[in-house]
Amino acid sequence: MKLGFSPEEELFRAECADWLQGQMAGEFKDIKGITTLTAKAERRKEWEQQLAAHKWSCIGWPSQWGGRDATLAQQVIFAEEYARAGVPGRVNHIGIELAGPTILTFGTEQQKARFLPGIAAGQTIFCQGFSEPGAGSDLASVRTKGRLEDGEWVVNGQKIWTSLAHISDWIFVVTRTEEGSKGPKGLSFLMMDVKQPGIEIRGIKQINGDAEFNETFFTDARCPADSLIGAVGDGWKIAMGLLAFERGVSTLGQQMAFRNELDAIIAAAKANGQASNPLIRQRIAKAEIGLRLMRYGALRMLSNTDHSKIDGAALTYKIQWATWRRSLGELAMDVLGQAGEVAEGSEYEWGMLPNLFLFSRSDTIYGGTNQIQRNLIAERGLGMPREPRGDL
Amino acid sequence: MDFRFSDDQLNLAEGVRDYLSGTHGPEVLRRLDEHGNRDPAIWQGLVQMGLTGLCVPEAQGGLGMGLPEAALIAAECGRACLAEPLVDTAFVGVPWLVAQGQLGGLEDVVAGSRRIAVAHAINPWEADGDGAALTSVDPLRNLSVRVERSRDTSAPGVSTTLDANGEGDDLLLNLGALMSAAQLVGLADAMLDQAVEYAKIRTQFGQPVGAFQALKHQLANCSVAIEFAKPVVWRAASALEHGLESAPVHVSHAKVAATDAAMLTAETAIQVHGAMGYTYEVDLHFWMKRSWALCGAWGDRAFHLKRVDDAVLGGALPIGPQHTFA
Repeated sequence: MKLGFSPEEELFRAECADWLQGQMAGEFKDIKGITTLTAKAERRKEWEQQLAAHKWSCIGWPSQWGGRDATLAQQVIFAEEYARAGVPGRVNHIGIELAGPTILTFGTEQQKARFLPGIAAGQTIFCQGFSEPGAGSDLASVRTKGRLEDGEWVVNGQKIWTSLAHISDWIFVVTRTEEGSKGPKGLSFLMMDVKQPGIEIRGIKQINGDAEFNETFFTDARCPADSLIGAVGDGWKIAMGLLAFERGVSTLGQQMAFRNELDAIIAAAKANGQASNPLIRQRIAKAEIGLRLMRYGALRMLSNTDHSKIDGAALTYKIQWATWRRSLGELAMDVLGQAGEVAEGSEYEWGMLPNLFLFSRSDTIYGGTNQIQRNLIAERGLGMPREPRGDL
Repeated sequence: MDFRFSDDQLNLAEGVRDYLSGTHGPEVLRRLDEHGNRDPAIWQGLVQMGLTGLCVPEAQGGLGMGLPEAALIAAECGRACLAEPLVDTAFVGVPWLVAQGQLGGLEDVVAGSRRIAVAHAINPWEADGDGAALTSVDPLRNLSVRVERSRDTSAPGVSTTLDANGEGDDLLLNLGALMSAAQLVGLADAMLDQAVEYAKIRTQFGQPVGAFQALKHQLANCSVAIEFAKPVVWRAASALEHGLESAPVHVSHAKVAATDAAMLTAETAIQVHGAMGYTYEVDLHFWMKRSWALCGAWGDRAFHLKRVDDAVLGGALPIGPQHTFA
């Protein structure tokens, strides 16, 4: 057993912290502390490019494609320092954490050369075309259709919950390319240029007033035949591989952001006297314990020698952090009391904690609801029989 | 002991429910959210039903009813997510004035020309008052800074603020907490109905998602929480109406139970709606945000738990052998 990080890793931490804090105190001071995904999008695209210019944009990627071949521990350290420095979320996180690794794993050399440099440089922003109005938890029931016509894929249908589509350049789309197929069979994975006449984007306003995601309509949208990742009919396999990335490294560094949120709650409780309320004290203690559970769980996952795959413990991570953070939002409101009801500025200009409360309602929904997570844990983790599928 | 409401009481509540469901649907909430938050026509409709005068003595032209009836109607206001200040005016302000023997000007409340905004030390601000406006999480809540003012409760006007003028008038606090609790159970009922309806029509994996135990068990939990909260609210209304010494504890118990039921239902209903529940487009958030606002108003969960706690541990409540706990 090895607890904590090595001296080399601590040096790396200091290097990350220095650079990130320097940026947030200097040229990019204006974006420090932003908690929504959409605010100041143009400046944050510039931030993506600044990260790239200093080789911090995708440190886990191979150096050949702009990365640093960073170890998993280094990636976690970078993510932690990123959050500690108050840097806002990555507007290209889908490109860096999902599209890039998917292309690296399943793409051809030509596809790597075509997409990876732009993603690494912060020039190509990606969004994800998975969910549809009729395919949410039941993701395999996608109906968006793709057909080959004169050397091009022609796509028709609708995607929804497409985060940041309105500022994206490219979208990866799971489409049904085999006529009459059902479920996970007959799907293919396509890369498409968002900025074309056949793709229409409409924003969806959220309960916190932000509009991070969109409806995306495809009407004879087109892409070249070689935009297909993997083979025709491999779409489900690739989508599932991609979701494993989503459950992997990208969530492990979250705990520092969570630490910031819990610290803000503790500071608020001290300021308004709730810190002496025994009921609140107990819940703060429970939140602290929950955070430490995640912390040590992540370190355990990191300690696995085979870093290429995330094991069964990772199955439980999503529900654990999502439920913990949702409770954290509730605790924040109980600490603030009525002060949490009032926005600091104009409508929907929430402070960090009320926004946490509203946003965290989505944590137990996106990326697989808690109910789907329990099914996965029971069916894949515990080997229980699958819930019967109907045929509506 | 008889815990039932009379047929007359139930008919009254049902009449209000039918009226509001016919005239105050989600499309009205959206219209108000876009324009002005309040609508004189809606207020006039409530006046014509006699609701502003529900607790005004008959000698002043009211219906002379008590807090149990008012709580029943407050629950209907919650169910409809009513934004007009009926509850504060008619079910908090009026009963307080009547208890103080301040009957002047109540005719104007009955006629609808006078509304009462209620200020109290426990609330850092007031709803539908005339201080500087604040932005509430509830888009239809007109919050303003609490203004210290003299106790002028006799002059008629469009809006009169009732100020207990002291720090912590207990009756006013209990009335406010009770009526918040009553609204919360109505809000919770409405959110549960919306979630159940959605679970019936949304299909995934080839069947309505409501067929899955993962969902139906959660909705069942909400139903249990709501149905157990209701009697506690009615009990508190009755205790306060009869001026029982234990009334404050009953009120606190009701506020905690209603808060827990409403928040559990709000949170579960969003989850059941999936990503749609996280959008502005689905009506649910109006109810959820009202619930959130009312959970904090008139003493939050921790405040009321502490009142229960103090009563239980401090010996104020007669509990133990030879005592009932009604």
